Amino acid sequence: MLNVRTTFAKTLMVAAFLAGTTVVSAQCRSFAKNKCVPDLAPFKFNESFNAAQLSPGEEAEVNLTFYSGQEYRVMVCAHPILGEVNWKLVDANNKIVFESLADNPKHTFDLKAASTVQMKVVVWVPGDSKGDMVHVGCVAIMMGFKE
Amino acid sequence: MIAMRTYSWLLTLAVATLLTACGGDPPAQDTLNVDSAQDSAMKAERMKKTKNIFYNIPSPMETAALLKKTGAAYNGKILNDVKNVDTYTSASQQALNLGVYGADLSYASVFNHTQESMFYTSCSRKLADRLSVTSAFNDSTLELMQSKMNDRDALLDIISETYWSVDAYLKDNDRDNISALMIAGGWVEGLYIATQISTTNDSPELRQRIAEQKLSLNDLISLIDSYSVEDPRLEGVKVDLADLQKLFADVSSTTGGATATEENGVTVVGSTGTAASLSDDQLAAIREKTSSIRNSYIN
Repeated sequence: MLNVRTTFAKTLMVAAFLAGTTVVSAQCRSFAKNKCVPDLAPFKFNESFNAAQLSPGEEAEVNLTFYSGQEYRVMVCAHPILGEVNWKLVDANNKIVFESLADNPKHTFDLKAASTVQMKVVVWVPGDSKGDMVHVGCVAIMMGFKE
Repeated sequence: MIAMRTYSWLLTLAVATLLTACGGDPPAQDTLNVDSAQDSAMKAERMKKTKNIFYNIPSPMETAALLKKTGAAYNGKILNDVKNVDTYTSASQQALNLGVYGADLSYASVFNHTQESMFYTSCSRKLADRLSVTSAFNDSTLELMQSKMNDRDALLDIISETYWSVDAYLKDNDRDNISALMIAGGWVEGLYIATQISTTNDSPELRQRIAEQKLSLNDLISLIDSYSVEDPRLEGVKVDLADLQKLFADVSSTTGGATATEENGVTVVGSTGTAASLSDDQLAAIREKTSSIRNSYIN
């Protein structure tokens, strides 16, 4: 009987956790759609949604392809609960092309691609979660292009 | 003891997230107060997954816009027949062809072929309905698109937002396999359109764009590999993409570093590598393979 109860409790916990994760993911998308996508204008959102719930000390990255002759806006958008985040755009050799640090933040970087190039956006949340509070917030990495 | 502690924080997290879900429309984030034991467990868990890696696949709209810039002409005859829509009965066929029709819709819309756009919108709507994605793509979306038929920019924005909403809905409802099939179907159709156009509108610019799909193909394969779902159809798609990857293996593409200069207040980024290009044989082989894969999806 105890085993059945334990199994049921475990199943319930896992189900609740998964349901919660889905809700958090949906909230992250909603945040990005309402608070971030509008700031891509006049560039068109490329419809690729890259976002995660991060806490201080965590990192996210995405590979982006910039096609020759096109103009782009790269944007990193973080929920205010995290404060400002650090991010950089690096090339295939990890050379920094653009960097925004939390003490002098820039949320967007516009560029024109003279030739096709792949680069990587790396975002990291400052701090190390010391103390009693764990701050978790949505961070979205988005790209817009001009038609 | 360790197991109990793990369950304890899992339960705390589960209850917290469920309460958030049931509480109407709360802010996207909260500050979670936890005791030090739970805090340590939570930190240890989060430390295991500190890096989140995403894969960015060009959307059908971006691909169509790139195609248009090469000077390619519109050819509606190569697109998937709208009559096929009722033959897709399995969820995997519907998902693949939602991607295919989505790419056709983007192609027709970017090239300003409004009537065809409405046909492909209708097909996409039908498939979205059959896949139960009506909350992201429903009659009101259709009506909005019809009302903006003569406003190309507004129409493109609605199509973009709908594509994003459908993909988001699928992912939020743990249907990653359906989302992956849709993205793969759209990507294959984009490559199919470009390679078919090259038979009549061949140009160095178009060949370069086709060759550059080597980069997005690698990202697409990584994206699909990142999904931990077991789906025989998705496994089949992976095999198709791997076959294409073999054909792209010898294609030269820009993989060098980047240089940044300032021109009239705009940052211009270039590559230190050489521009991507395709030989006649490479183009013919990629065209033939893409056509074979695409036809297996639509028939």
